[in-house]
Amino acid sequence: MDALSAFFTVFANPELLALVAVGTFAGVYIGAIPGLSVTMAVSILISFTFSWDVYPAIALMIGIFMGGVYGGSRTAILLNIPGAPSAIATAMDGYPMAQRGEAGEAIGITTVMSFFGGFIGIAVLALAAPTVSDFALGFQPRDYMLLAVLGILLVGSLSGESLVKGIFSGALGILIGLVGMDPLTFTGRFTYDLPLLQSGISFIAVMIGMFGVSEALAQIHHLDTPAIKQKINRIVPSFGTIRKHLPLSLQTSTIGVIIGALPGTGGDIAALMAYDHAKRVTRKPERPFGKGAIEGLVAPETANNAAVGGAFIPMMTLGIPGDAVTAIMIGALFIHGLNPGPMLMIDQPDMFWFIVGALVVANFFMLIFGLTGIKLFTKIVEMPRAVLIPLIMLLSIVGAYAVNNSITDVYWMLAFGVLGYFMRLYGYPLGPIILGVILSRLLDDNWRRAIISEREDLGRFFWGIVTSPLSLTLFIAVILIFVSQTPLWTRIKARHAARKEKATDQ
Amino acid sequence: MKHVILGAVSALALSSAATFAQDYPTKEIQGIIQWGAGGSTDTVMRAVTPHAEEVLGGTIVMQNVTGGVGAIALNQVEAGQADGYTLLMGAENPLLYKVMGLGQKDYSDFTPVDILARGTPVLVARADAPFDDYAGMLAYIAENPGEVRFGSTGPGGLPSVVTAMINAVEGEQDVISVPYDGDGPALTALQGGAIDVMPAVLGAAIEGIRAGAMKPLLVFETEAVDALPDVPVATAANEGYNKYLPWGPFFGIFVKKGTPDDVVEKLSAAYTEAAEQPDFTELMDNRGFTLLNLTGEEAQSFLEDWQSTTAWLMQDAGQTKASPEEFGIAKPAE
Repeated sequence: MDALSAFFTVFANPELLALVAVGTFAGVYIGAIPGLSVTMAVSILISFTFSWDVYPAIALMIGIFMGGVYGGSRTAILLNIPGAPSAIATAMDGYPMAQRGEAGEAIGITTVMSFFGGFIGIAVLALAAPTVSDFALGFQPRDYMLLAVLGILLVGSLSGESLVKGIFSGALGILIGLVGMDPLTFTGRFTYDLPLLQSGISFIAVMIGMFGVSEALAQIHHLDTPAIKQKINRIVPSFGTIRKHLPLSLQTSTIGVIIGALPGTGGDIAALMAYDHAKRVTRKPERPFGKGAIEGLVAPETANNAAVGGAFIPMMTLGIPGDAVTAIMIGALFIHGLNPGPMLMIDQPDMFWFIVGALVVANFFMLIFGLTGIKLFTKIVEMPRAVLIPLIMLLSIVGAYAVNNSITDVYWMLAFGVLGYFMRLYGYPLGPIILGVILSRLLDDNWRRAIISEREDLGRFFWGIVTSPLSLTLFIAVILIFVSQTPLWTRIKARHAARKEKATDQ
Repeated sequence: MKHVILGAVSALALSSAATFAQDYPTKEIQGIIQWGAGGSTDTVMRAVTPHAEEVLGGTIVMQNVTGGVGAIALNQVEAGQADGYTLLMGAENPLLYKVMGLGQKDYSDFTPVDILARGTPVLVARADAPFDDYAGMLAYIAENPGEVRFGSTGPGGLPSVVTAMINAVEGEQDVISVPYDGDGPALTALQGGAIDVMPAVLGAAIEGIRAGAMKPLLVFETEAVDALPDVPVATAANEGYNKYLPWGPFFGIFVKKGTPDDVVEKLSAAYTEAAEQPDFTELMDNRGFTLLNLTGEEAQSFLEDWQSTTAWLMQDAGQTKASPEEFGIAKPAE
């Protein structure tokens, strides 16, 4: 009974309701601007809400979190600039849709699917948090490493026409991610004794440059092409569309919850893995992936919003953050006199149900704010290029600067923008670079941890993999996915198909 | 050119105005936090500063400048004006920069405003570890050389210092040291069974201990702590620890050396009062930190003692890149 009343705290209190609404609304816009991140907004809010009660403070933060994760898709679809790393996969099919004049439809599907994914995440949090957190805690360094390898194999999905160019891009991304002071040994890697390189290359700066600036430069080629008129009659997707994608969105939401619940991985990796999963399981997309497939929108958007609920699972059950934002929220709980940890659920069950309630409310507000104001947003794409290109450049510069208040990041961003432009021109896909940067630390750190733990003995390392069901499953998945991308597999498949045909002929 | 000169003149006027402490602060103060959002330094600074703002009657805008084990933030503040408008909000790490080869500057280039609090190191083991106390752990390590996994956070971090202490007092222990990104991720790995033992700061481990998710083995203090009254203290387990304890990571606020004395005094007074506020002392208690609230001479000698103990301990453990002697860091008195 107490749980129920705690759950409905937000619904019954107009002040809290308003705070979640304000938070969600602000979150959508913070998320949409590349460089302004939810992490940043929530950490500023800690000082801002210092003198408040704990409920209003958390309500506002949850609103921003939910809205922000969704908001990243806006600029990804409209301008091909992901507002947040978790929206990178969204750009791959969202932007082609906008170029066909279907931006309204793309945003509509994204919103409804984000809502759906968010809801699954919250449901798992509410019903199965302890089970999921036990599972997540069981991940050993070697499992994180295998997960990263699995992620690296996504290069195949993100490469477009040339796998070789994709692998090159991915390797470049991993290299970029390695630059800087190695946190495990405090040794500089590729720093050439320059203090500038010690803290590494800002991943956000790379992302904004690669997607934002290179897009602006590429647009210059089409200065005289008139802007695409957007059809905005179909915003809310039909029930049929939703039902058709229900099985896929359930699968990708599950990916989102689990990846979100793992301490050390978040919505960005979840979205990319979900995109890859969609590509694998969708037999006949209406349009090919990368050209505006609806499945390419459904998968990452359900996954990254499901990861929000997932990230709260280890936070609420163990006091361990599931991602950067929940790490800050744990700090906020401390400041407000609570002690997040394994005892929180037992000592303060109200807090748990209050957070679940606030997440539900935020999810509804996200749906409302997402579906309104689309007309205004699509006008952005209809602007003449002479206005649009400087606008993208401005957004990119502001965004890159805002990450660390560092002008160096702006230079990095511009340099990667120019590099990205030439890479595009010569047909090198940009997705794998970002994938490489995201995964390089996960792969590198956990490989070293795993092998150090086994006294640097490969035999013991593989014995560990074979004897743990989780590691073995991941290892087999890595092998299967790898084999399925080699020419050998396609040959076997072709022969198999031919034999089948023969059989039906007779 | 005219603008530049004008700007320079007005900047000069501003900075000379700032030397009159009765006017200070006449503009926003910047607080540069050495560590990322959500970490313990961040939490402590964001909790204490609003109270200091009230006393000071000004605003302090806080910003996280991360990277290079905090060196990026330290160098940024050091490169600025010594006018009290940029505060460095940091932890103990800079005192080891020189010997670890991480930078040429440390807190000797700064004046301490307030050393707020000190943490207590505690040795914890995973709940199902095959030993229940400190003596049992040593015996197990002796019987199973090279099998027990200790978590660490890289050279110079708390676990490396505590492990060096154990090695110095008990003799070299044959364990595997697995590096993590911080004590949070390492304690997560401990609960998942990836490592067996972790030297951590009490505040980070206390909730896990209360829930029975990890076993406390030893508290690195000379007297029992309120949070864990039944856990033996290091000096009782082996008198050799008296040489190093009390020792612990700390949080402090600093300004660049050369900042006018009256400005430092005003800041110190503000933070001293802020750190006495009940909700801040409660936060420190809950997280297992000992409130120090040291200013002026006391703060200075605290820093010197800490640096001399730790730098020489790391030197004797062979973990340094340069001898403390090169930087004039005195050897601790025996």
